[in-house]
Amino acid sequence: MTDFREIYHDGVVKRLVQFSIIWAVVGMLVGVWIAAELIWPGLDLGQFWLSFGRLRPLHTNGIIFGFGVSALMATAFYSVQRTSNVPLFMPRLAWICCYGWQVVVLAGGLSLLAGWTSTKEYAELEWPFDIAITILWVCFAVVFFGTIATRRIKPIYVSNWFYGALIIVIAMLHIVNNLALPVSLNKSYSIYAGAQDAVVQWWYGHNAVGFLLTGGFLGMLYYFLPKQANQPIWSYRLSVISFWAFTYTYIWAGPHHLHYSSVPEWVQSLAMVMSLILLAPSWATMINGIMTVSKAWRKLRVDPAMKFIVLALAFYGLATFEGPMMAIRSVNIVSHFTDWTIGHVHSGALGWNAMITYGTFYFMVPRMMGRELYSVRLANIHFWMALAGTMLYIIAMWGAGISQGLLWLSVDGIGELSYSFNDVMASMVPYYGLRLIAGIIFLIGTILMAYNLFRTMWGRHTVSVSPPDIVDEIHGTAHMPEPEPDFDGSTGREVPA
Amino acid sequence: MKYHGVTLHRKLENNIGLLIFGILFVSSIGGLVQVLPSVFQESLSTATQNSHLYTAEELTGRDVYIQEGCHVCHTQQIRPLVAEVERYGPFSRADEFVYDRPFLWGSKRTGPDLHRIGGKYSDDWHRVHLLDPRSVVNNSIMPAYPWLAENEANAMGDIQKKMRVLQTLGHPYSEEEIAAAPDEIDGLSQLDVLITYLQVLGTGLAEENR
Amino acid sequence: MLVAVLHAPGTVFKEIAAGNTRVIGAVQRLTFLFILMPPIFSWIGSTYFGWRLGSNDPLYFDTTARVIISFFYADALILGYISTVLIARWMSKTYGGGKVATEKLFALFTVVVAPLCVASASHLYPQVFFNVLILIPAVMWSMTLLYRGLPIVMNIPPERGMLMSSSLVGWLLVAFVSLLGISAALWTYGFGPSLGV
Repeated sequence: MTDFREIYHDGVVKRLVQFSIIWAVVGMLVGVWIAAELIWPGLDLGQFWLSFGRLRPLHTNGIIFGFGVSALMATAFYSVQRTSNVPLFMPRLAWICCYGWQVVVLAGGLSLLAGWTSTKEYAELEWPFDIAITILWVCFAVVFFGTIATRRIKPIYVSNWFYGALIIVIAMLHIVNNLALPVSLNKSYSIYAGAQDAVVQWWYGHNAVGFLLTGGFLGMLYYFLPKQANQPIWSYRLSVISFWAFTYTYIWAGPHHLHYSSVPEWVQSLAMVMSLILLAPSWATMINGIMTVSKAWRKLRVDPAMKFIVLALAFYGLATFEGPMMAIRSVNIVSHFTDWTIGHVHSGALGWNAMITYGTFYFMVPRMMGRELYSVRLANIHFWMALAGTMLYIIAMWGAGISQGLLWLSVDGIGELSYSFNDVMASMVPYYGLRLIAGIIFLIGTILMAYNLFRTMWGRHTVSVSPPDIVDEIHGTAHMPEPEPDFDGSTGREVPA
Repeated sequence: MKYHGVTLHRKLENNIGLLIFGILFVSSIGGLVQVLPSVFQESLSTATQNSHLYTAEELTGRDVYIQEGCHVCHTQQIRPLVAEVERYGPFSRADEFVYDRPFLWGSKRTGPDLHRIGGKYSDDWHRVHLLDPRSVVNNSIMPAYPWLAENEANAMGDIQKKMRVLQTLGHPYSEEEIAAAPDEIDGLSQLDVLITYLQVLGTGLAEENR
Repeated sequence: MLVAVLHAPGTVFKEIAAGNTRVIGAVQRLTFLFILMPPIFSWIGSTYFGWRLGSNDPLYFDTTARVIISFFYADALILGYISTVLIARWMSKTYGGGKVATEKLFALFTVVVAPLCVASASHLYPQVFFNVLILIPAVMWSMTLLYRGLPIVMNIPPERGMLMSSSLVGWLLVAFVSLLGISAALWTYGFGPSLGV
């Protein structure tokens, strides 16, 4: 059966976690900086590379591709080995993927500061980076699907469906949306123009959110939640139905970013209807998660990771409800182009993506290092800071967004506009101030986590873990990850059960 | 029915090739039915009397707009709502954008919409505003762009090559226009060409549509 | 009782958990006060000071509009209050609370919303940012009370209480954002402030 020389490749996971944490701090720091620039525009210090228009894409790309994708690769590599009972396929390629990705994000980030941009949101990087991303993404796919292909457990576990959808759909979106004719190294022109470009871009933009920030992180949820809770997923059938419904429906919703614009109305209306339908699979997953976690409440006492996951589920519920609501055309009239959208994105990004990643890291790092978390107390403080920061952020942006939407559209008795644009903009300062405070609170929490986790990892190699000897071929194992090998703090080889 | 669905899923979850195919199939339906027809819808890509082909100078200015990320805070999309038409001008039409690669509609109005900004202010106003926004707009939170006055428009890249690429993509530039392009922007600053672009924004809309 | 609720909520929670009918009754009488306070404050504020949305002149509504606004406000509060109690009752089995008497849940949520309702005095001066600034700490305070009080009243371990409280916070966030959405849609359809749409 299992070859005893086989050891899970966790070194690459550890390295990806480290990069992910660094990107989280960098990306959020940039976020805090640009939040401050919206109050004190002089903060660009007269430097072109500190200008808001260049820093903001750096913030979004740093968070999504630096923090988010590194975390997704780390957790995908970690969980796919353990749900397939086999070490990574082509581990060298996994390392290339790890470092290559960091080089692309770093160089790409710098190129954004230099003003190289395709302008398409979350796809701003110019064509040389797009090609590099495509190649690395294929490497990621080879390692991931290769591991699954060599698996020793017949059924492919739920989390891997989501990671698989992430890899496949993002590849499709990335390639189609970035088709362009290059002029020079730093300039290309999109092969689509105007309204068509808009439709393609938001098909990409919305589904990058869908399959990366939602689907990818649901993969994380489906592996780490049952592991942490030591409970099988509440309903296998629900996860099957919600997975396929999610994969089918999400794709249609993109043009709700283009309500009342110059793209054909049927495209907008269809997107609105599909956005509303999307609530069902989104919430089905949430219910599945909540029911699983509710059986494992005892863990909460000792496990700060669990708290993050619980909260992540609550904010996931909020964001996946708010999104379809804002896709309703009559609501969108008020919310479109305002800070409400920014608040919505952050209830997802801070409340869901960051929280679930933090929870996962707090779970994974001590286990990989074979040592207790450096400080549970710090992790608990981090938890409350993350909660306070997120709440404050979204409340501030609700206030700002509603005011903007209302005041821009307000007309007086004789149909004249009630407010000048400038007045409305000037009245945003207090909200932007609150948002800045919220961001700082959240950032400090993240820095605490970085310190905590780096102290935990300091001077240690990952524990060697081998696949368990007994391979359970029974179908039912598909919704229960394999039992965690006990760790007692020893650095030596874990003896399989 | 539900039972069949889960049975089918069992097949997929035991075979990675089938699973990959299944995901690809299910996720591409939306794109094929909704996005693909739009991409081939001719009315969205056919030039009309509302369409304006950017000159070499305007095109360079547009690339400055892109380089500085103006689209991050300014939209170029006026919705057909009373208040919006009153505030910004006639609502945006699809055929006004057929030469926009990429589209610059934006998603956030931190600053006002710019689709009909052309002709609303003088060149001098724009010049002062871009160099020191708060000297003309009290309370403005727009960044200043002092470096644009110093940087040459020529530094934005080979204009002839750009026009040839766009020609390949269907923009009807004549050989004379391409030949004259370098002289057109020679000696201008990035600020100059950006203002030229801003001044032409939204002015292509035919009179009867206003 | 109002003072006790704000000053020593822990004791009140314990009394509610113990089924002290005198305390529960007193808290329940507060419920009506709490539901009436925000609409009344907003009525007074909008009458005397007008709504200040941006930096322009305050917005004054006519009496009919103010009646409708206050009426809907009270309605939304009642709906939110009752639905939260019902949802808590529905959830309680999942979180090990068993059958908890509904009046205990009503009392629990009355104590929880106390800081918010008192802070709604900020509606007396209906400037949006001023209200946000006052209400945010009140929201935090109320949330703390929820996390503290729920396990006591439901008689479940704090960890399970934390899970259930988070679920309820999730519900409340959704309910609040629905309110925003419904308002936005109503404005678009011509109710409330006049919009040029």
